[in-house]
Amino acid sequence: MTPTPEQIAAFADGQLEGAEQAQVGAAVAADPALARQVEAHRALARRLGAHFAPIAAEPVPDHLAAMLAAPKVVDLAEARARRKGPPRWAWVAGPALAASLVLAVSLGQRSSDYVSDDVALALDRQLTSEQAGAATVRVLLSFRDGDGSFCRAYAASGASGIACRDDEGWKLQAAGQGEAQSGTEYRQAGSEGAIMARAQAMAAGPALDAAEERAARDGGWRKAGS
Amino acid sequence: MRRFVLSIRKAKTLADPFADGILALLPRLRRFAAGLARDVAEADDLCQMTIERALRSRDRWQAGTRLDSWMYRMMRNIWIDEIRARTRRGETFEAEEAGLAVGASGGQEERVGLGDVDRAMARLPDEQREAVLLVMVEGWSYKEAAEIVGCPVGTLNSRLVRGRDALMTLLGEAA
Repeated sequence: MTPTPEQIAAFADGQLEGAEQAQVGAAVAADPALARQVEAHRALARRLGAHFAPIAAEPVPDHLAAMLAAPKVVDLAEARARRKGPPRWAWVAGPALAASLVLAVSLGQRSSDYVSDDVALALDRQLTSEQAGAATVRVLLSFRDGDGSFCRAYAASGASGIACRDDEGWKLQAAGQGEAQSGTEYRQAGSEGAIMARAQAMAAGPALDAAEERAARDGGWRKAGS
Repeated sequence: MRRFVLSIRKAKTLADPFADGILALLPRLRRFAAGLARDVAEADDLCQMTIERALRSRDRWQAGTRLDSWMYRMMRNIWIDEIRARTRRGETFEAEEAGLAVGASGGQEERVGLGDVDRAMARLPDEQREAVLLVMVEGWSYKEAAEIVGCPVGTLNSRLVRGRDALMTLLGEAA
């Protein structure tokens, strides 16, 4: 067969399939002039690709990126709270989720349990944005569940978990199991990732910001109307 | 007012795969815009207009369908319908003359080479240039490129061949 110019170009681009590809390939292999054409097409593709590649490698200009992130600019209070450190949902949804597979979160089977006294004390008092680095119980964030109850995710030396406040105290809703004792930073992060993912699933809205969290603490973590 | 603030916060704290998806596509879209447009400022305009229209039209994008080809199609149509028309109205030949001068001055070899590609691309009819860009620079299959342009695959294929033949002649790469 004598391939058409369209077939030669498509062959060079790897766009032919099946019998057509085999036929054109055989013709090209048998005819040095066709082989030169194929190589010329590929050389042109390489040259064009190299010519435009630097543009895609440049950082995206801020004014374009900002068009897609406008709400972040508008909500200054949110940005401020984020800088202070309490984890937000957007942060959770990223890399932490990828690491979360190392941990199984148990749900329901310990539903009658309340957190231990030291954890309860921390959940009662500690604000996410104002806790000592050396605190044995670290509160990760606070949110409201579908009932309006306040819930808090935390990490302690023994385990991490999520507890929601009811009339009795901090009732355990989810617990990370047996991770902290392995002791590595990575596993600790994975444990938190699973907890945070679980918190996101439970939450009725965004995480509380620093001011909302303070108001909730000062109100004894009682849900509105109770 | 309070309500307004709350709704904004809600919108941003939940992940927005649409905006994030466009953000991730921007390097490629900027490259495509640079190939379509004549200069940096025009390419930037094209990117802005494409993002604006995408944000306005997000209801028409169906989650689960390809965002990238949707964005490419939008950019291509804006180029054809708006910017190209605007450029034509105010066209001068300055760019062409400047380009030739760079080539003739025999300056740094690499710069002359890059200028050659731009100049050769600028001489192609729009329909050939967009076919060359979509397939040879942006890496779309013939079928996908035809869908972005809105023409039959055979038409795309022949425009592509004519465009690359012209380029090889202009750039001295003919076999």
